[in-house]
Amino acid sequence: MEFEYLLDGTPRKITLERLESGWTIRDGEAAAQVEIRQISEHELLLLSGDTAHRVLIARDGDRLFVRLDGREVLLTEPGEHRGRSAGGEAGASGDGRRIIAPMPGKVIKVCVAAGEAVRKNQTLVIVEAMKMENEIKAASDGAVVKVHVTAGELVDAERTLIELEPAGTPKEAK
Amino acid sequence: MFRKILIANRGEIAVRVIRACREMGIPSVAVYSEADRTALHVRIADEAVFIGPSPAAESYLDMDRLVEAARRTGAEAVHPGYGFLAENADFARRLEREKLVFIGPNADALELVGDKVRARRTMEKAGVPIIPGMKTTPTDIAEFEAAAAALGFPVIVKASAGGGGKGMRVVNAPESLAAALDAGRREAKSAFGDESVYLEKYLEAPRHVEFQVLADRHGRTVHLFERECSIQRRHQKIVEESPSPALDPELRAAMGETAVKAMKAAGYDNAGTVEFLLDAGRRFYFLEVNARLQVEHPVTELVTGVDLVRQQIRIAAGEPLEFGQEDLHQRGHAIECRVYAEDPARNFLPSSGRILVFEEPKGPGVRHDGGIAAGWDVPIFYDPILAKLIVWAEDRARACDRMAAALSDYVLLGVRTTIPFLREVIAHPAFREGRLDTGFIGKHFEGWSEKPAGVETTRLALAAAAFADATGMGRRSSGATDASGPSSAPTPWTSIGRWRMGRE
Repeated sequence: MEFEYLLDGTPRKITLERLESGWTIRDGEAAAQVEIRQISEHELLLLSGDTAHRVLIARDGDRLFVRLDGREVLLTEPGEHRGRSAGGEAGASGDGRRIIAPMPGKVIKVCVAAGEAVRKNQTLVIVEAMKMENEIKAASDGAVVKVHVTAGELVDAERTLIELEPAGTPKEAK
Repeated sequence: MFRKILIANRGEIAVRVIRACREMGIPSVAVYSEADRTALHVRIADEAVFIGPSPAAESYLDMDRLVEAARRTGAEAVHPGYGFLAENADFARRLEREKLVFIGPNADALELVGDKVRARRTMEKAGVPIIPGMKTTPTDIAEFEAAAAALGFPVIVKASAGGGGKGMRVVNAPESLAAALDAGRREAKSAFGDESVYLEKYLEAPRHVEFQVLADRHGRTVHLFERECSIQRRHQKIVEESPSPALDPELRAAMGETAVKAMKAAGYDNAGTVEFLLDAGRRFYFLEVNARLQVEHPVTELVTGVDLVRQQIRIAAGEPLEFGQEDLHQRGHAIECRVYAEDPARNFLPSSGRILVFEEPKGPGVRHDGGIAAGWDVPIFYDPILAKLIVWAEDRARACDRMAAALSDYVLLGVRTTIPFLREVIAHPAFREGRLDTGFIGKHFEGWSEKPAGVETTRLALAAAAFADATGMGRRSSGATDASGPSSAPTPWTSIGRWRMGRE
């Protein structure tokens, strides 16, 4: 049976087939036989060849946290892609138009108004979480289409803060 | 000795103080906000009192509610931990008026050292070397501009009421001064309720070396040697150790004596720390006094064998120190790593959410001071520190090995933490060689991101995820959204009766 996950935003497919004793894992051309032993609600042993891998696994909504070999691998169920940028800058959303809150927090300051022209890296909004201020910056030159929040407001992660119209060509190239 | 102690704090430090109380046979009272209803400190304290809504200003910073909680439970003393009201002289005075003992320095000393600008003047007068900079906190931008011009850029904006990196901004050029002052003031106002800021010359790449001091109320002041805290991000310490690889016995003795002199000049009692910056020419400058138990206190405890919280409580109860300077020695080497709820893959943004799986490292010489538990939601309202991992070993190299192993064993799923980053810091050749300064992270980890897991590890992770999806494993504690599928198997071998696609 085939399963699909997003790893750092990239779709990955994996196939599991039940054998008489154990499983076959297929990843593209590669295949391996493993035994899978469930130890507890969050713990598995993967016995692959003569090595045993302890796996801890937990789920939060569409995210699966998998830990093995001393590493944590974060997988996301495809379909409900939530627009999280894997390694991006604060506030950079998928299309660069919708500026989203990178984490839940409190809006400390809105630095721009609708209609205003902004430059790349200009601070748009300051969001505070855990007592640290985080400056949400413009990913490109453009103009503010709409401001969705006001100072003092509590926002959830990925809430739209500001809509930007990226400039086709920078107006004031400097 | 006190019959009962209230801990006016939360998280790992509240847990730490509650444990010290328990050892001393003193009943403890925890306080908690809405967001902390099920927090660890609430669960382990002898009593717990609800003190208000989640924002700290309406709970952990609300003196009336704290005093009321102490009254109601019959607590005789209040331990403030660090942060919140720990260095608030008004709180210390208020407790005094209410006939409650503040477990910390006397209010006058607290006020003096808490005013960073006044402290600088006092230290200069006492012959303690200070960093060049302003000795007033004006509001007029022109005065800042003039001071910055006189000092020469870079300068650093500091909160006069500050500490812990809050309100600090480095300014490299005149045109960014106004914005930095603005941001510094806002952050200072939010963290300390006081927006006074001043400028100091920004020393580039010094080491941060601080001395732990204990002073009783009978005139005895001793130091418990140094901690080096040069590994910092955004002016926040993340790795600390004792001894410092930079000190030899002569420099250690000179700095220790200066630290004791500084505390005596301030009329200080109880536990406190004198922070210094140490430059490449081995010159040291007074930075500030931290008038509280510090986050990194465990490294001192591990190398000196002294329980600092116990000493704080004893001193506050009026008892004399049981040891003199000559009785104190450093043995072996201790390192602490702070585990923050910050996502290294997303530029260290705060990360909140539910802790789904939690396993703390164990073994000889491994200590874990934490305020967390599986099933608990990390709130957005407070400092992002989750826990501290501290190791002790015979020497620095072995302590590094032990820390590396302990970090590898640390499991925390559900909330992103700085652990992957800390592992690479500890493994870095410059760290291993003790070549540290406050620019370490900027120099060696600028734009850092974790290397992706290897092909084999990734493949097995995908297989494990598929297995879990097929069996419904790992769902139970993830919230109430999905009740389908068995969450644990009755036998060690799971058989799969019904196949499903990964997506539902």
